[in-house]
Amino acid sequence: MKHTYLSSLAAALAIATLPLPTLAATSVKATVNGMVCAFCAQGIEKRLGKLPATQSVFVDLKQKVVAVQAKDGQTLDAKTITAEITDAGYDVVKLETVSKTVDEIKAEVKASARAKP
Amino acid sequence: MKLTFKHFGACVLALFATQFTLAGPMGFKESTMAMGDFSPNWREGFANYAFTGRDAVGLGALWMRSDDGLRVRETVEINYTRRLARWNQPESQANVWLVAGLGPVTGNDFSGSRTLFSPGIQVDFETTRVYASAMVRLYRAEGLNHDYASVRAGFSFYEVDYDEIQPWFILEARRMNNLSDQTEITPMLRLIHNRYFVEFGLNNANQGRFNFMYIF
Repeated sequence: MKHTYLSSLAAALAIATLPLPTLAATSVKATVNGMVCAFCAQGIEKRLGKLPATQSVFVDLKQKVVAVQAKDGQTLDAKTITAEITDAGYDVVKLETVSKTVDEIKAEVKASARAKP
Repeated sequence: MKLTFKHFGACVLALFATQFTLAGPMGFKESTMAMGDFSPNWREGFANYAFTGRDAVGLGALWMRSDDGLRVRETVEINYTRRLARWNQPESQANVWLVAGLGPVTGNDFSGSRTLFSPGIQVDFETTRVYASAMVRLYRAEGLNHDYASVRAGFSFYEVDYDEIQPWFILEARRMNNLSDQTEITPMLRLIHNRYFVEFGLNNANQGRFNFMYIF
């Protein structure tokens, strides 16, 4: 009995000391038509930044991209994001959920812009 | 040159009109937009609040003076702005706006005040490199019945991210029918950065002009 108890304790300690699996960041990436000015970008950024599940927002006028990263453990509602952008006066033509941070999306978008002739 | 009521009225209309021709006449939903227009003969402050993504209400205060410096006008205007239509394309945006103002005008050459009603329509087209707008506005009050029209066009010198300063060249022409014999033409340098822009220019009467807009 004593042996079993010690074994269980050792196993529990071993599990507790294992590194926790890293949660992949989740972001919503949208392609938006009509977003051509700094004021457009600022409005979208501010509105989406107020959503409870939003960690950070990135807007790129040249590539027409809006990216929203969710807080850890929270889920972004694609319908709400679409509604916010549409209500602001713009058209969402594509929307996808990706396992990337906003910083990663930003790096991709910038790289894509540089690659264009 | 003899100054007439028409000339004075032209100045008044120019003053009212500036607030709506700087750029889009309202900010995003639940934002407050503040604008200003300053030159030797008029000083204006204006702010509106967008209570929806399409509608805003505002209040403006202004002081203006005739070209000879003898006559002064002060007014406060309540106004309403609505985005009637928008067309979005991948590289552009076009809008139709309704604006309507109401307020008293007082002056140092008449007693009491007159009520001015000023409905108007603005259309604009914009890309990240090109801007164009046109506006027609009616100004109606006792003893006043004048139309106003303006056009603006310009281009940015280069493309930037929205959080970087972007310089634009803007050329504006405006005219008040039955009020002024000449069209005012003003080339301006516009600087846009994130939530504000400023414009500096010199019109064809060699008068300096400074405009700004800020979104809270």
